[in-house]
Amino acid sequence: MRYVIAGASAAGVSAAETLRQRDPAAEIVVISDEEFIYSKPMLSYYLAGHQDLESLLYRPRDFFESQGITAIYDRGVAVDVVKGCVELEHGPPVPYDKLLLATGASPRFPSAEGIRRDGIFGLRRISDADGILTRLSGVKEAVVLGAGLVGLKAAAGLLERGVRVKILVESRQVLSQMLDASSARFFQELFEQHGVPIVTRAAPAAILGNGRIEGVQIASGEVFPCQLVVVGKGVDPNLGLVSGSAIKVDYGVLVDGYLGTSVENVYAAGDVAQAMDIVRGEPWINSLWPCAVEQGRVAALNMAGERLPYKGSTRMNSVQFFGLPVISAGLAVLTPGPLGGRSGEHDTSIEDQPSATVYRKIFLKDDTIVGFVVIGDIERAGLLKVLMEKRVNVSAIQDRLLGPKLDFGFLLPFIADNRERFEEPEMQELIETLGV
Amino acid sequence: MERLFCDPRKCVGCHACELACAIEHSQSKNLHSIILSAESAASRRAVYVLGGEPYRVGIGGRPISLGCHHCDPAPCVDACFSGAMHKENGQTSCTASRCLGCWMCVMACPYGVITAVETALKCDLCPDRVEREGRARYACVDACPTGALVAGTFQEFRQVLDQPVEWSLPQPPSPPA
Repeated sequence: MRYVIAGASAAGVSAAETLRQRDPAAEIVVISDEEFIYSKPMLSYYLAGHQDLESLLYRPRDFFESQGITAIYDRGVAVDVVKGCVELEHGPPVPYDKLLLATGASPRFPSAEGIRRDGIFGLRRISDADGILTRLSGVKEAVVLGAGLVGLKAAAGLLERGVRVKILVESRQVLSQMLDASSARFFQELFEQHGVPIVTRAAPAAILGNGRIEGVQIASGEVFPCQLVVVGKGVDPNLGLVSGSAIKVDYGVLVDGYLGTSVENVYAAGDVAQAMDIVRGEPWINSLWPCAVEQGRVAALNMAGERLPYKGSTRMNSVQFFGLPVISAGLAVLTPGPLGGRSGEHDTSIEDQPSATVYRKIFLKDDTIVGFVVIGDIERAGLLKVLMEKRVNVSAIQDRLLGPKLDFGFLLPFIADNRERFEEPEMQELIETLGV
Repeated sequence: MERLFCDPRKCVGCHACELACAIEHSQSKNLHSIILSAESAASRRAVYVLGGEPYRVGIGGRPISLGCHHCDPAPCVDACFSGAMHKENGQTSCTASRCLGCWMCVMACPYGVITAVETALKCDLCPDRVEREGRARYACVDACPTGALVAGTFQEFRQVLDQPVEWSLPQPPSPPA
């Protein structure tokens, strides 16, 4: 059996490892246009100077070789699903018996005049971070377009490098895909306190300057002088490999409950795959590391002949800015996304702010948790996440959800009452331990 | 794989496991040194009260000692993008030097048993205790005065659960008829 994996980030590496563990003799080929395996979420730490390149390598440089995996350093340009091969930019076609599309996503650039010019960066690849770093000596002021997770992490990183940063946001708030307005204000204020102005309702119209970047002009005509522009407005799936093929695509590559695409023997995982979202109840892309790793593993097991259903993903983010941590998951926001948002995603929210820097908010619909935000005190946030993912009716414990005393011991009898939803063996063992 | 289990029939909620765990994971490995030097020491397991109520008869209100369940697959390992949280011989461990403190693992853990103190702290199954002290493998099991904490596979622990408890805890007075 010849397995081919297109892409070598979270999903691709997870799939390659899973396939190798399951079948020591399998032929595994990974196609990657980057020469080593590194952690993309760590790029902002690298940009800030907290981590060096070696610490970004979460697998050794000789990983593929040591695992007996063939690495082809090239870029896949097309899939021939009839012949069963991946066509490459440079090398000869790579035939497959089973193919995993793990091509990831790329930064979404706004439409502004000159936006594709040299000196305007996303923060997605090591080459982006290195490109920013090599220009830094000539940069006093930078503009970050977008206040998504990557935009804010890039802004904080540049600030640590001594750059004056302004953030331009098209919407009314920061982190609009992750936080509701009342949670976002904590971070808006925090960035402003650290000398990073956030300009809302500012859609970029043009990048100014001849040759060198001199500033960003927004739709109102106002100009923000800068020598560097970083774009952090989210990502779009890399669909170049599948375009023109019979593989069905919506916003991303559509997959079934086993992460198979519409074409036999072709699977997809990670930021390119549009799989079921547990909370939304419809196919969605949650471009997140944990989802990619899990999807890579589940897809690999299905490619290897198991019949393992994918339980679905949920949006979940954990991040810390200037020492203030936040964990948020599910539908903590009603802002329309790239697939179009809907109203009525939650019917109730409960919130509590026990101190100036501790805030908790839970969004409910039909007595189930559909989203939450915890700021400041983030320990045990996973308990809210598991209750949300299991779609369990929490009306019996709703008054305890916000409190500091929410712990697993408190929840365990409740979980035992809903045991059919908690199928993990470790959960079942604990329920059995109670003897009820 | 060998893991740690708590028999809730025997747990009296004395917190000896927490204290032993905190000492085991301290620099000095000595309670008095920890107190005198104001060294910080954190336990990787905790005693909870089932149902969160004050102690009462039945399952609600009984104490139970819980730590990492070393899940397979482990959501915390999936969530970790720095390579700190990893699986080794079935055990889930965090390499502190690689931990960035992003708390993705805290978000992912369905049991809420990862502590966020500079780096992610969790049960590491006392990796060097036997060599260091030549004593029992696990500090918490060693410290448990009632034998509630048991090391072994779940199949082995199930046999323990099948055995009757030879002693009983004081029961509160029955409510008047």
